[in-house]
Amino acid sequence: MRLENRLPDETVNYSIEHPLKEFAWLLAGVTAVVAAVAASVGYFAGEIAARVPFRVEKDYAAGITRHWEEQKRTSEAEEARRALRALAAKLAAAMDLPAGMDVTVHYSDEAVVNAMATLGGNVVFFRGLIARLESEDALAMVLAHEIAHAKLRHPAASLGRGVAVGVTLSLVSSSMGRGLAGDPVQVAGVLPLLKYGRDQERAADEEALRALAAVYGHVAGARELFALFAKIGRDEALQIGLLHTHPFTSERLARVDELARERGWALEGRVRELPPALARLKRAAPAE
Amino acid sequence: MDLILEYFDFLLFLVLLALGYFVGRMNEQRHYLSIRRRERQLANVLAFAARFPPDPHTPRECVLVTGSVVVSSDYFKQFVTGLRTLIGGRMRAYESLLDRARREAMLRMKADASRHGCRLIFNVKVESTNVGGGMRGGTAAMEVLAYGTALKSLPDRSEAPRAA
Repeated sequence: MRLENRLPDETVNYSIEHPLKEFAWLLAGVTAVVAAVAASVGYFAGEIAARVPFRVEKDYAAGITRHWEEQKRTSEAEEARRALRALAAKLAAAMDLPAGMDVTVHYSDEAVVNAMATLGGNVVFFRGLIARLESEDALAMVLAHEIAHAKLRHPAASLGRGVAVGVTLSLVSSSMGRGLAGDPVQVAGVLPLLKYGRDQERAADEEALRALAAVYGHVAGARELFALFAKIGRDEALQIGLLHTHPFTSERLARVDELARERGWALEGRVRELPPALARLKRAAPAE
Repeated sequence: MDLILEYFDFLLFLVLLALGYFVGRMNEQRHYLSIRRRERQLANVLAFAARFPPDPHTPRECVLVTGSVVVSSDYFKQFVTGLRTLIGGRMRAYESLLDRARREAMLRMKADASRHGCRLIFNVKVESTNVGGGMRGGTAAMEVLAYGTALKSLPDRSEAPRAA
């Protein structure tokens, strides 16, 4: 018997292929598949959720409505709320909401520069945003935009989509055993949600412009509003557009001009001053 | 600054991935160089899986020799293999890791035998155990243990390996 140990053959037990090659293939493949699955699951879930009767959504969102209704209000806030509701009624009348749908506008005395539409036709305006606005027309644009979200059932669609995509993603990332690869998979799954989000914003902008043109005869308020947004978000050039729900302001401004040209809406016109109850908020908090 | 905070999770992930890739790859390459060098140095210690020595009837002094190593994966390897578990296939990232671990364990066992003045190990076995946490979050780490029976003196035969 001859005893011999040879040096190991370096081509048998492991691969000499560059690790980045496998990495690139796997990442591209998995990302594409997850994004496609999330996009289709999200699409169908959103479509189904948006077809749930509004009555059901409103019952479901009773807690949200109560939360905003039962907030303590100063007399100033009460007047602001009334003024907002009067304007909302005027706009809603021009937006032919589906039968059985109603929108409830709430006012919140917080410095946040925002307004939002949530489940059950609830629209919330924050003082911070109103304090920044210069005219009733610009305010009407925001208001009509939020009412349009409610009309198009966007909050319900987003919720349905978010839940469905979330469940799908957690199934995928948990099936990967060690959770590390979960993060990029989550990003891949969330991207389609952001795209749907931007589509919703575009649709809401379009509805709002139509309402603005119907009520005021021109869409100057929209241009004023987006010009203001551009001023507020000067650093937006730094932000990665892909990861934001709202389209870029410059894009929204261009869209206003384009739609106005198509539909024959006047871009310029006399803009109205803010209702007195809301103009007072502006004077009370000029620095915000 | 806001931008960094907003995408902090993602940036952290990229930093860890790059760190895992560059440092992990550098360590692996250095480890292979060291393994190959020591494999040549310890080539005079022979190891076999046979249960009995070539001449089992000659009485000789035997020593149990062991070599064990605990090796950890890096972030990059774990990420790549995490993706791999979705579609299956050859886990290249772990193949080199375990190849290094097995060879290192064998080398440590041979070094142990060499310290005892032995140049033949038989009945060599290699075992491995996962020591890296649970299913989620824990870093993949393996212990590889090589052990065998080393002979104190070599049989006086012509086919026996020559002394170094």
